[in-house]
Amino acid sequence: MKKREERLILGKGEYADDLEFMNMGHLVFVGSPHAHARIVSIDTTRALALSGVITVITGKEVAAHTRHLPVQANFTSKGWTWRLAEVYAISSDKVRWYGEPVAAVVAETEAIARQAADLVTVEYDILPLAGDLRTALEPGAPKVYEDWEDNKQVHLVFDFGDPEQAFAMADQVLHVTNREGRVTGLPIEPRGCVGVYDRKNDSLEMWGSFQTPFLARHNIAATLGIPEAKVKINAVDIGGAFGLKIHAWKENVVALASKLTGRPVKWMEPHRDFVTTGPHQRDVFWEGKIAFKNDGTLLGLDATVYHDLGVESTNKGIAALSIFPACSSPTNMYKWVGMHVEGIGTVTNKSFYCAYRGYGKDKGIKFIESAINQVAKQLNMTPEAIRMKNFIQPDEFPYHQINNYVLDSGDYPAVLEKAMEMADLESVRERKKKLAAQGRYLGIGLITAIEPAGVAVPNCQMGGITEARVLITPDGSVEVHSDRTEIGQGTEISHATIVADILGMDPAQIHVKRVTSDFIGQGPLSSRGAVYPASAVAKAARLLREKVVKCASSVLKISPDQVVLENGFIYPADAPEQKISYARFAEKVFFFPGPRGLDPEMLKAHDHLLDVTTTWYSPTTPESGSSYTSFCVSADIAVVEVDIDTGVTQIVKYVHVHDAGTIINAQVVDGQIHGGIVQGIGEALYEGLNYDETGKLLNTSFSNYLIPTSVEAPDIEIAHLETPSPFSETGSKGMGEAPIIGSKAVILDAIEDALTPFGIRVNDAPATPEKVRAWIRKATGQDE
Amino acid sequence: MKIPLTFVLNNQETTLMIDPGQTLLEVLRGQGGMTSVHRSCEEGECGACTVLLDDEPVNACLVLAASVQGASVMTSEGLVKDGTPHPLMKAFTDELGIQCGFCTPGMLMNAYALIRKAGDTELTDAVIRKTLEGNLCRCTGYVNIVKSVKTAQKLKMAGEWW
Repeated sequence: MKKREERLILGKGEYADDLEFMNMGHLVFVGSPHAHARIVSIDTTRALALSGVITVITGKEVAAHTRHLPVQANFTSKGWTWRLAEVYAISSDKVRWYGEPVAAVVAETEAIARQAADLVTVEYDILPLAGDLRTALEPGAPKVYEDWEDNKQVHLVFDFGDPEQAFAMADQVLHVTNREGRVTGLPIEPRGCVGVYDRKNDSLEMWGSFQTPFLARHNIAATLGIPEAKVKINAVDIGGAFGLKIHAWKENVVALASKLTGRPVKWMEPHRDFVTTGPHQRDVFWEGKIAFKNDGTLLGLDATVYHDLGVESTNKGIAALSIFPACSSPTNMYKWVGMHVEGIGTVTNKSFYCAYRGYGKDKGIKFIESAINQVAKQLNMTPEAIRMKNFIQPDEFPYHQINNYVLDSGDYPAVLEKAMEMADLESVRERKKKLAAQGRYLGIGLITAIEPAGVAVPNCQMGGITEARVLITPDGSVEVHSDRTEIGQGTEISHATIVADILGMDPAQIHVKRVTSDFIGQGPLSSRGAVYPASAVAKAARLLREKVVKCASSVLKISPDQVVLENGFIYPADAPEQKISYARFAEKVFFFPGPRGLDPEMLKAHDHLLDVTTTWYSPTTPESGSSYTSFCVSADIAVVEVDIDTGVTQIVKYVHVHDAGTIINAQVVDGQIHGGIVQGIGEALYEGLNYDETGKLLNTSFSNYLIPTSVEAPDIEIAHLETPSPFSETGSKGMGEAPIIGSKAVILDAIEDALTPFGIRVNDAPATPEKVRAWIRKATGQDE
Repeated sequence: MKIPLTFVLNNQETTLMIDPGQTLLEVLRGQGGMTSVHRSCEEGECGACTVLLDDEPVNACLVLAASVQGASVMTSEGLVKDGTPHPLMKAFTDELGIQCGFCTPGMLMNAYALIRKAGDTELTDAVIRKTLEGNLCRCTGYVNIVKSVKTAQKLKMAGEWW
């Protein structure tokens, strides 16, 4: 059942760093020490003189031999601001962020390549900096892209429902803000790949940590100017991804290096480079007004979210697009009259923005949840009461939300009630009072969320269509192909379970194949796994089952409705003793059907091959424009204790209740919940990428970019509810990102609750001990 | 200039020709062929390259290979007996204390040393968490890892161990 896990446990993993090819060269990038500078000259003489160096590629070679990186999202037509830049994998004229590659050295060994990288001499002319969100938008600010009018890349404006009416109906309006610091998802394994250019066939094949081989193929082929049909991308074992291995741009240089040298070329990104030149996320500031009635009825929102994108974000990755879900997601799981939301994406001299668990849909939810808890305080309501008042009710699904999301199913009140019961909310509140009397600061956080999952958006590379293939081989084993790479989220277990259940086989007979670019799809991003690929695989398996039944009715000489498929055997319903194994069945169908063995009609229709390739697309997206198909539900309650002398937050209790529809494998789902919650805790308490005034990134390793260890991670109590989604083939909903949304918000909410005596708003993540201390000092006048 | 390094690798006396400047991580992954020893931070922070050096967990990236002359080094490959997963490995699979699998081999070695040292003392969550602090995992939130270590100790106490 856990074939992959057993293989990895035995040390048989094949990760990017384990790849070896005959005559392989090793590539190392040279990074800029400046955040914004013109490249005056590059001298590669000393590097090339080092024994073992094969070649050095600079921006000039990249410009001469490749095209600029393709645009991955383009929304120019809608009257919004959406600026594009022509960007090459290595820039030849100027650098725009600290660490940006200016050259790549290829050598016989990685050690020589690293040594040679230090010998590449670059002369820079340092330019003034567009260092942060606020200054980058000021008139006359240094421009990151000279041909742009200013540093604004994206400005989107949305009116959902009737925002004017919402504010006209309001008894009260509250001003609300929220800031999330810049973070990175930071899997333990950095990125890496090997490119093998075949000069005889002018074709390219790559192996590596590709989260989305199908998209990587498109972007690499386009950059190198090779037809996609001559490029194949293979995902190997991937040491975590969380969205950070979707994009391909340095990989294009690896492919070019193989093409130019005629040798296989390997690149394994040093972990430090993964941070300095890797994708970043969050770094947003929200400001707005929330409208409500005195009885707690929520009405509307008028807000703007400012994103610090770093350098432009439409072609290294695709994260300018994440501003859409950031703007749409504040509706969360409540009824509203209207919202006006604007999303602004600003370019600065920082590393680029790309996907990380949550992508953007997390941002709106965290903001609105924090705002709703402010409203509750204003009205002297409990956080649960205000939610119960505004939840969409179980009998209202499918619910067409004001932002066009079609919410599929769920019982929102039941999820929250279950969480309250598990947390024993009333007695925790009593305990908080008791401890307060002893001078201790207990805080209780409560957050509810839905996770929009399984994305499909027009005018970008997240179009949605997904392909899968399920086939039975002549020995009765089963191959399952899809676009869903295994990044540790349980693809193999899930797909094997789905197919085994449908075909009546043992999961051990199902072989989930490694993902290549041969199968269409965006891979496991936006929690698509349980929505798109799982649906495509289930659909293919059901169509295959129909074929098996037809063939079996011929083989067993019984009517199709008498065919039973169970436990790896096929038999007539009334004569189980006549059972034949799948192996026997498949061999007969393929090789020994006999002249009249199979139904002549099937033969004439060429329909006896036990092999189905099919595609799947959301049933709701085409009509409604809902960019997501399923909406997993969750409630998080956290109890923390804040030490006001040190500013340290201790998590005392953590409860997570969720409803992700039908559960395919509970261990996998629990694993996603545990991991996501702890990543969210990291964002809430520790993680923050800090650039100094010269644009240098200060924390570039695990020693100063602090992710939770086993000591900081809490015990987590989980309960599952299962309301199937009517829109996916299995009833499952995507859920991989839900836990990181609720956990970050709930920890910050709990800290604010703990600090109630000081009247502190906790709306600036991460709430590090230093920051908590500064808030307390300010609140108590100690700064004076 | 290459020098010979003779040491016990996974219970077998082994001689490898190494560069004097190579780290134990480089030698184990390279000449030693032990690719379960994973490379990530290369500065002793992540624990992905944890191996046992004379029974003590170390970050192989911080150890100069030449310094292990005559010593015993064990990687997770060394836990496997005749192709059969060690009970500790079985516990990690059963409890799904593994997701992407990248931190797992290092985690296993640290846990192996911990369980052996604990003897008959039942390991508490706090002790397990404190001991595994140097092995970073980004996928599991550590919950199932802690569970796996406890299950493994039970297997050891039931006599299933080597």
